[in-house]
Amino acid sequence: MSRIGVFICHCGRNIAEPVDIPAVMEATRAIPGVVYVDENQFTCSLPGQDSVRRAIVEQRLDRVVIGACSPRMHEETFRKALASAGLNPYLLEIANIREHCAWVHGNDRPAATAKAIELVRMAVAKAARNQALFPKEIGVTKRALVIGGGIAGIQAALDIADAGHEVVLVEREPSIGGRMAQLDKTFPTLDCSACILTPKMVEASQHPLITLRTCAQVEAVRGFVGNFEVDIKQGARKVDQEKCTSCGICWQKCPEKVPSEFEMGQGKRSAIYIPFAQAVPAIPVIDTEHCRYIRYLKFNEDKEEGKAPPQCRICEKLCPPQAIDWEEEDSLITEKFGALVVATGYKPFDPTVYEEFGYGHYPDVITGLELERLMSASGPTDGQVLRPSDGTPPKTVVFVSCIGSRDETKGHSYCSQTCCMYMAKHAILLQEHDPEVQSYIFYIDIRATGKGYEEFSRRAQEEAGAQYLRGRIAKVYPKDGKLVVQGEDSLIGRPVEITADLVVLAAAMEPNTGAAEMAQRLSISYDSDHFFVQAHPKLRPVETQTDGVFLAGSCIFPSDIPQSVAQGSAAASKAAALLNRDHLVTNPMTALVDPLKCTGCLQCVAVCPFNAVETQLSREQRTLAVINEGTCKGCGLCVSACRPGAIDLRGTTNQQLLAEVMALW
Amino acid sequence: MIEQIRAKARELLESGAVDCAIGYERASDGITARPFFAYRPEEVERFIFDETCVHNLAPYLMDRRTKVSALVAKPCDARAINLLLQEKQLERERVFIIGVVCSGVVETGWNRAGEAPAPRCATCPQHTPPVYDFLVGDPVAEEAPPAVTSPEVAELEAMGVEERRSFWEEHFDRCLRCYACRQVCPGCYCKECFVDRLDPLWVGIRIAPVENHMWNTIRAFHLAGRCIECGECERVCPVNIPLMRLNSKLNQETAELFDFQPGLSAEAQPPLATFRPDDDL
Amino acid sequence: MVASPVNSSTDSDLRIVGFLCNWCSYAGADMAGTSRESYPANIRLIRVPCSGRVDPMLIVKCFEMGADGVLVAGCHPGDCHYGEGNFHTRRRLALLRPFLDFLGIEQERLRLEWVSATEGKLFSRVVADFEQELKKLAPRGVAA
Repeated sequence: MSRIGVFICHCGRNIAEPVDIPAVMEATRAIPGVVYVDENQFTCSLPGQDSVRRAIVEQRLDRVVIGACSPRMHEETFRKALASAGLNPYLLEIANIREHCAWVHGNDRPAATAKAIELVRMAVAKAARNQALFPKEIGVTKRALVIGGGIAGIQAALDIADAGHEVVLVEREPSIGGRMAQLDKTFPTLDCSACILTPKMVEASQHPLITLRTCAQVEAVRGFVGNFEVDIKQGARKVDQEKCTSCGICWQKCPEKVPSEFEMGQGKRSAIYIPFAQAVPAIPVIDTEHCRYIRYLKFNEDKEEGKAPPQCRICEKLCPPQAIDWEEEDSLITEKFGALVVATGYKPFDPTVYEEFGYGHYPDVITGLELERLMSASGPTDGQVLRPSDGTPPKTVVFVSCIGSRDETKGHSYCSQTCCMYMAKHAILLQEHDPEVQSYIFYIDIRATGKGYEEFSRRAQEEAGAQYLRGRIAKVYPKDGKLVVQGEDSLIGRPVEITADLVVLAAAMEPNTGAAEMAQRLSISYDSDHFFVQAHPKLRPVETQTDGVFLAGSCIFPSDIPQSVAQGSAAASKAAALLNRDHLVTNPMTALVDPLKCTGCLQCVAVCPFNAVETQLSREQRTLAVINEGTCKGCGLCVSACRPGAIDLRGTTNQQLLAEVMALW
Repeated sequence: MIEQIRAKARELLESGAVDCAIGYERASDGITARPFFAYRPEEVERFIFDETCVHNLAPYLMDRRTKVSALVAKPCDARAINLLLQEKQLERERVFIIGVVCSGVVETGWNRAGEAPAPRCATCPQHTPPVYDFLVGDPVAEEAPPAVTSPEVAELEAMGVEERRSFWEEHFDRCLRCYACRQVCPGCYCKECFVDRLDPLWVGIRIAPVENHMWNTIRAFHLAGRCIECGECERVCPVNIPLMRLNSKLNQETAELFDFQPGLSAEAQPPLATFRPDDDL
Repeated sequence: MVASPVNSSTDSDLRIVGFLCNWCSYAGADMAGTSRESYPANIRLIRVPCSGRVDPMLIVKCFEMGADGVLVAGCHPGDCHYGEGNFHTRRRLALLRPFLDFLGIEQERLRLEWVSATEGKLFSRVVADFEQELKKLAPRGVAA
């Protein structure tokens, strides 16, 4: 029989007034197993805690029940008190006789007292079945993996590395830099994007603790916080990184030209290429889909009909250091990490669904990101804004906001946050390029909430002369080499028609391709738009429900550069704090499988939200479930799914719950 | 029909493809059938198959002492095999299914085989096993899925809740807690049944209405979305508790709520192991 | 102290067991306390980590013991602390309720509710509603 001590807290008069405490104490003394009952003015106070500690020692208590406020208030306080008296902290139970009793039944003392007696009896019944629990210590692999080499990922990698931890930065494109590398200037300061980004890219590539893996993708993630094992598919460049001197002969001489992804299809690149001049690493990559020689090899292998592509190999012949390596294949690398930072970024919304705006049909209807490339000094037009249709400089430019944002029918319900500001930026820059340009901006609301943003937005109107028209546009159609934009100015309630040279659509920001699959690999949640879900939107904004996995940048929600950088640093500080520790203490309230009862039906595997149930073979070659205590969060879903009763949840066992129920009768 | 079964079993035993062929032989009363295990080719002559072959033999497949068994399976028995495969109690390569096209079995008792079809067969539309390696008999071209509703369930549903309560109280009061229903059920393969556990003591040891009620309720609920409706539990119940009504009710709800019928495929995701965020329940 | 008409001693005849998930509904019940949103005193609350921890066996056991009602409360769908626990609860209970009814335990006696940590008022309303509904049914009495 256990020796249970029960302490009833008056909580001043909070409990003592609505509840007849002497009656509760008297009833409690009669419960078998209860050897000591005491009361305190405030059990949570230091004298109160002392009385608990003293009783544990003097009365040789092996379980403690405290009738007081909600366990959500003081469970930790009292667990510490038990521990300091030498009792395992998990031998505590709390009867919530304040929030769940005294405070809600204050007008009926007999009912409140009767309920308090039963709540204490339930807690005693449960406590009698409490087991000592011991948190485990698990080691930490002091390395971080950052997924995504945009500005958020670069920032996270740099900050973690500066904190003294090894970082692997994985990027699926041939260069790091992400979307920010494509931008011309940044709002609201108008500093050149490349000028502020490239030093960071170089810093990341040269940091002794950072390993860059470009053309690489995360294939699988196993393990748990502090101990992740990640399969990374390293794509083949077919160029030997050690030998290549980035002289550029190969990409200049390659005869196969294809639309450049970096230039948003507006310029050409070779089949062997670096995506942009400042690419890091500046090692070219062979595009196996377009390379003539590889197509020739494939043609022969597949024994296709028709004329074979030429056996080009010009790059190989001209490469001074002989760096071309046709034999190089994709490889799979498995590495261990203690923390993961996910910064997979965004992609622009495809505006072709808005058929009435003619994107994809009329060459002079472009997106904001395409305009960025036209404006960029390193872009396809060397920084001259020219119409894609005829190469003439546009004089009248119409911007349309919220393309795919704030529109549930064709796009997304959310606001993409950055468009209002980049439209203002474009208007200012266009005017700087050519003072004769007149910009019209169709907007729904102007959202300029950052530091210096409102002033910037006003500058577009007042200094750059951009005309803001509140309303949506209805239609764009070509007429005499120009585009007629029909819309409505809802402020004056009148239709407007503008004959424009160029129409720029402010396309929404969407989670990057493969975001949902990435979330599944990482066992993190994603919302209906496929943005990753934070552990708490306010208080844990860069953490996920999976311990050790952190988020940064536009994979959470459309973010501008300052926000992405802040999130990168925030995620880095979380990751570094984790990696600074030698050991992690696990929550001991995890599920446990009794191998003698497990039938191996693996219903538990199916219901576990955290992939915490693993399998192992018994000596008789039966498959059994095993809980990974590092990953288990203690929800108990597996316990109620386990028909054979082989799984139980420490801290909320079947015995304990049943004891609580049975204590009511 | 029986010659086909014998020939196939002989061939499998001779070639060593299986260690054991499980089927039926004539029982010692000369009227009914009983399970028979043939380990040697010459033993296959003892196999019989007729409308007295009532047993569901699938649970014998879980005996891991035999590496590979051949099993004579009626449609409901084959559904049991699917259930066991789906719940990973059996590997497909460990069983060779000799499926038999079935037109139902009869009610049997000690020394007696009736004319009337067994209750479960009266309404069963399934004739061809949903899974087999070798089929005996002509398959029915357009096989209907198992019935979702049962007249016995509907009869109870039509009653008032009080009436239903006394209906079941009356039946459960008779329960001897012999657990024959559990022993015969292909879905009841737990190492230790909840009813046998002492801590937590889900069901009190005494034979009292409340404990009997708990046992019968949970036995059925543990088969929710899993009962393949072979009716063995009801057949073996010595006090004739209409257990299949409980199972059929749960199957009916499972079909209506989750569009799921157990045992039709070994790959299907059981409804209680999954969910849809937009479940409208 | 004189019993008030709201919580008259007659309601103590009813036995209601509530299983509340730690993260939303238990905190919601705490919030009801903090904001003094009174509700019938005949409910006994049991804290579980997640509504998905509530084994249907426990619910049946409550009814076998003579409970008049069982309330299972968890986070709103999509808000589960563990992501998806309450989706499983929803399925299990959707199957259990008609089954209990079939056995002669009115399905109104088993309730599944979503109560968040801030919804103290909602929690007290849920309990009051539930009690009102249970009062309409015949009392079950203590098990034999």
